Amino acid sequence: MFFHSLTTSVKRQTQSHFIQAGNRMIAGLLLLTLPIFLSGCGLVSTGRLPQTVNSPPRAMVAGVPFFAQEELQCGPAALAMALHWSGLAVQPSDLTPEVFSPGLQGSLQSGLIGSARRHGRVAYPIAGSESLLAEVSAGHPVIVLVNLGFFWYPKWHYAVVIGYDQERGEVILHSGLNANEHLNSTVFMNIWKRSEYWGLLILPPDRLPAGVTEEAWLTAVAGLEKAEQWREAAIGYGVAQKRWTQSFGAWMGLGNSRYGLRDHAGAAEAFRRATLLQPENGMAFNNLAHVLAEQGKRKEALDAAQRAVELGGPLLDNFRQTLARIKTIPAPKNGRKREK
Amino acid sequence: MLQKMLKPVSFFLVFSFLLLDFSVQTAHARMIDTNTVIAAQKERADREQVTAFLGREDVRQVMIQQGIDAVEAQKRVASLSDAELAKISQAMEQLPAGGDGIGAIIGAAVFIFVVLLITDLLGLTHVFSFVNHKR
Repeated sequence: MFFHSLTTSVKRQTQSHFIQAGNRMIAGLLLLTLPIFLSGCGLVSTGRLPQTVNSPPRAMVAGVPFFAQEELQCGPAALAMALHWSGLAVQPSDLTPEVFSPGLQGSLQSGLIGSARRHGRVAYPIAGSESLLAEVSAGHPVIVLVNLGFFWYPKWHYAVVIGYDQERGEVILHSGLNANEHLNSTVFMNIWKRSEYWGLLILPPDRLPAGVTEEAWLTAVAGLEKAEQWREAAIGYGVAQKRWTQSFGAWMGLGNSRYGLRDHAGAAEAFRRATLLQPENGMAFNNLAHVLAEQGKRKEALDAAQRAVELGGPLLDNFRQTLARIKTIPAPKNGRKREK
Repeated sequence: MLQKMLKPVSFFLVFSFLLLDFSVQTAHARMIDTNTVIAAQKERADREQVTAFLGREDVRQVMIQQGIDAVEAQKRVASLSDAELAKISQAMEQLPAGGDGIGAIIGAAVFIFVVLLITDLLGLTHVFSFVNHKR
């Protein structure tokens, strides 16, 4: 309403200046240019989510079931919806012990991330409306943290964005007790702003986000290692290698995950590939040395450890200790090695 | 009172830092985990970015104009800690990447180097809390 009156007053002024030049045309032009002026001072006025990349005008993610939340259980509910979409049939109640913090009467972002990892899913945080549009139009539901109250009376809430319609100025979400809620984009941006536009993707490890970066993906996959989800981590690193063929981190991660899976031959192979990518980097030689030692290849392990020490770097102490440890392994036929 | 406290407290702190360092080192006779690798790769990329920037001919020109020794600047980059490098690299990313008015833009970037690398290392400013005084 405010903007409407503003428009007419601006219109009136301008009309008085250009009265002979054709009132209607000017007014029409002015109306067309108005959104441009407004978008400069505040993205909320246009009723659309701000975007610069060419996301389609509307999108909807298929296959996201709705779970009505129980009291205070928006975190487990939102996560269960996203996990379901990713192919895991879990109920919100299954997730409550992993996600919900009874003392806080709510769920922390880290709780959601940790729980997703324990289920072998990559938790990939995003921020901002551009990422949101890109991910939703790529078919990925996004868990968002919003504040339904005021800044002085916070009421945090998790919801799942499953679609948007830029022409109608709406965001579509599963939230609380409402499935497919159509929320005005302006309102959504206002309540989302308070979490600094925090969003979270829950993805199967073989599915890259639309706006992925190598570092962020590797970090997200490394989280699976922390949760000892070695198989899924290995899949995630495998996808990374295909996307970024020169990725040292991807080969190192793959080596570490295979090691976690006790696939020592595979781990050694991955670390070798890493040494070829960055022959001046001692990290790969260090890990290769450990794996070779476990395979009972003492001589080769010593060579690799020696190489790591020669290359040095900030982890030199670590490399030295690796070398020292391998030196303590008795030479062959001494019953200590278990596997070949 | 404060003076009296100072000595035991600093001894205690030094001692606890020694303990900390020790525990880190024992934990280190292991495989390098992927998070460490990723952090190192990030640092490497930052360093490469900053070094490449300093190596550019137009940047060299501006540095000569402002009386900065390019070789010395490169050496200082090599002695920066990860956190400092990340900050500089971040600051550089925020600079406008336009084609015109190149002198002004590079001048601004060089200014960051002047402030961060030189004055900070000399102890004239205190931009970073973890300045590596390797001089």
